[in-house]
Amino acid sequence: MVEAIATEPGRVVRRIATALGMAVAGISAVLSAAQAQTQTLNAYSIWPENWARPMLQEFEAASGIKVNFLRFSSGEALARVMAEKNNPRVDVLFGGPVETFAAGVKEGVFEPYKPPAFAELPERFREANGHWVAIADDPLVFMTNAKFLKENGLKAPASWEDLLNPAYRNMLQMADARTSGTAVTRIFSVMEVNGRDEEKGFAYLKKLRQNVQLYTKSGGGGTLPVGLGQAAGGIFFIVDALDTKAKGYDVEISFPREGIGTAAEGIALLKGAKNAEAGRKLIDWATSPAMQSLYAKHKINFVPAHPKVETEASLAGILKQAKIFPIDDAYAQDNRKKFVARWIAEVLP
Amino acid sequence: MMATTAVRRRRMRDPALAITALVIAGLLAFFVLYPLGALLARVFVVGGEPSIAPLLEVLAQPNHRAAFFNSLLLATLVGVIGTALGFLFAFTAARAGLSAGWVRFLDIATLLPLISPPFTTSISLIFSFGPRGLITHDLLGLKGVTIYGLSGTLAAETLTYFPIAYLTLRPVLSAMGNTLDEMAMSLGSRRLHLFRTVTLPLAVPGLANAFLLLFACSLADFATPLILAGNRFPVLPTEAYLQITGLFDLQGGAVLSFVLLVPALVVYVAQRYWVGRRQYVTVTGKSGSAGSSKGVSPAARILLVGACLLVALFVLYLYALLIFASLVQAFGANHTWTLDHYRVIFTEGQKAIGDTLIIALIGMPLGGLYGVLVGYIVARGRFAGRQVLEMAAMVNYALPGTIVGIAYLIAFNDPPVALTGTALIIIACYVFRYSPTGIRATIAQLHQIDRSLEEASESLGAKGGTTFRRVVLPLIMPAFFAGLGVVFIRSMTAISATIFLVSIDWTLITVRILENMTELALGPAAAFSVFVIIVVMIVTAAVNALLRRLRTGQEMPVAGMGGG
Repeated sequence: MVEAIATEPGRVVRRIATALGMAVAGISAVLSAAQAQTQTLNAYSIWPENWARPMLQEFEAASGIKVNFLRFSSGEALARVMAEKNNPRVDVLFGGPVETFAAGVKEGVFEPYKPPAFAELPERFREANGHWVAIADDPLVFMTNAKFLKENGLKAPASWEDLLNPAYRNMLQMADARTSGTAVTRIFSVMEVNGRDEEKGFAYLKKLRQNVQLYTKSGGGGTLPVGLGQAAGGIFFIVDALDTKAKGYDVEISFPREGIGTAAEGIALLKGAKNAEAGRKLIDWATSPAMQSLYAKHKINFVPAHPKVETEASLAGILKQAKIFPIDDAYAQDNRKKFVARWIAEVLP
Repeated sequence: MMATTAVRRRRMRDPALAITALVIAGLLAFFVLYPLGALLARVFVVGGEPSIAPLLEVLAQPNHRAAFFNSLLLATLVGVIGTALGFLFAFTAARAGLSAGWVRFLDIATLLPLISPPFTTSISLIFSFGPRGLITHDLLGLKGVTIYGLSGTLAAETLTYFPIAYLTLRPVLSAMGNTLDEMAMSLGSRRLHLFRTVTLPLAVPGLANAFLLLFACSLADFATPLILAGNRFPVLPTEAYLQITGLFDLQGGAVLSFVLLVPALVVYVAQRYWVGRRQYVTVTGKSGSAGSSKGVSPAARILLVGACLLVALFVLYLYALLIFASLVQAFGANHTWTLDHYRVIFTEGQKAIGDTLIIALIGMPLGGLYGVLVGYIVARGRFAGRQVLEMAAMVNYALPGTIVGIAYLIAFNDPPVALTGTALIIIACYVFRYSPTGIRATIAQLHQIDRSLEEASESLGAKGGTTFRRVVLPLIMPAFFAGLGVVFIRSMTAISATIFLVSIDWTLITVRILENMTELALGPAAAFSVFVIIVVMIVTAAVNALLRRLRTGQEMPVAGMGGG
């Protein structure tokens, strides 16, 4: 009699549970049926979606392998693959600057693999044991808002010192080293132009801090504010800077005469990958002209890493005038953690 | 008399109720207490030894100390300004003798921030108040204004959360009725004097309550500061998030969230046990005569309504801007109309939309059911530990989402309970975090009628099942739907806890919006936001229609939905 009071909801619970169970079973049946037909592959992309998506769609079309990917800034992607080390959720880490991959090698998250293109690549585009291989080269640039320059009677910055000009006070945006590989590459660039003298390098970064309005979570995060004039300028990868220009914003791209770093953009197979075979296929494809000759078609301004692929003419023209040096992966591997920690402690506050 | 004690004794030994209570207790232990324990262990245990070294290490960093004080400052300001705004709206709605249409308009303007993802207004604010903002630069011709920092974050959070204060205060002010004022006036009291000596003192508990709710919301909000606070104004939830997602420093993140836990708990306890118990009810023996207000003078009325309209229009402007941003090529540069962004979210964003809807739709009935069961056990069960059960059920709701998310990440990342990356963990997070609305609604409903009514039904010969169907079920159905509605809405809009739980298999719209915003793909971010708002509006309307069908005369308690 009274028991029914409690068993009535019990019955309701059972019904709902059954319905839910059936729904879940149905969904998973559909999903597994879909999976059975095609090979799938999971990746974290450090490249923003607008670069990664067209490339991975081209790969799907070429190989018949379905790619699921999620985009994260490089610090976040690295944090994730480290966290998932014992139970990797993805097979491939796609795109992202060399310093991130160097840090990953140090953490032991990658499975060595040498694709067919390995032997043809210059040394700076591959890790000796094949822990990562480059798929592009991406120089940093200074990007400034043309209208701002005009209004303040400035020329586009042509030296690291130019960025310290008080005219830029509170008007620069650049990436946050806690999350972004663009920022870490920037820090290494500053170290290189200061002869790897840490004290000098950090003294400069602290001075630059005075002019920074905002450190953005993602490397390209400041491009639109610069394009719109919300910010006056910043330091970005060329691929993001040229995209801003292509969208019709009036921005100037310039290089410091002391030189600026370029980061090899990598790809790597994760240790314990569940779809390792499909992952290797993606690496084969991405490190070869098959993918890199598509950059121009999709208006993606990466410099191809493969020597057989021509750099798109206008991009090559821009780079001709610049002094660019590669970010050294061994130096990055040894110092990344230390520099980021120091940047947070001394520069950020 | 004899019969009732017999019934009661039988109820105590009711096995089904006991089993349900045990199952719920087990779930609470697993999904609430265990993660919290794991978090605390990460903070206070180093190498198996108890230690406060990690805590001291984090507090030694000036950036983190600043984050602590900034969080408190921001929360206090949001609490004060938001409560003032909420009071303005509630007072106007209750006393300015507005027609139903106007009140409806204010309601719609204040509902929008409650049902949209918590940082959507940030998009519009940046475009309105930045160095080249539509308002600061184009309209007012100001130069070099920066929105990043305390001012921008404060504006965004206040606009987002003041509706909670409005919804909290409106019943308080309406309940006072005008009768009391009329009495005072007829005794010769002047309007302002009356406001000071009668209205305000009576509203004090309501004001304190609203302040504490807003304080808690601001304390827990991580997405708004992530976008607007800039770097000179770090706050705790955002710092904890960056510590974990950027540096994978679980311990640092845990310590920072522990530091956040202290004020959050203080506020919760104050709200629950100090303010919550003091509600003044004005009993006049006559129902308050609606509309015939003499509470405000005509001049004051114009002032009040004008101020409310200004705020409401500003909120609507922000949302109009959001819709505009979702419909043009590149906001701020190329204003050609396009549906491209919507195409993008329904093709490339399809997975996020599908995942979110699946999670929300599974979490919805589970959350509603869980709320009703816990509420029923607390209100009708008779066993030691009921209070403990209720408190445990409220823990995840009282804590800022950042803490819950980090605790789940730490607790469920390794075998034997490796649940991170599954949909289950996200659903559990929502169910245990957002069901308290349903729990409270159930308890309130069941307290409305005395147990003796059920006993009467039984002693008159109704079968237990009949009693449950005829007496108890109609009572708790509204609570079930209200609870379920809130769980659905929060599943569509919350981010602060689940940002740590998304994975390659299960991702969420809110996380995509945030990612899009940091990549500055504002078009898709705006389109996603508009989509979420529309879906949530439809569901809110449906749930409210259902509640009206059930003739309960109550609406979904949206006020219990603060925080990301």
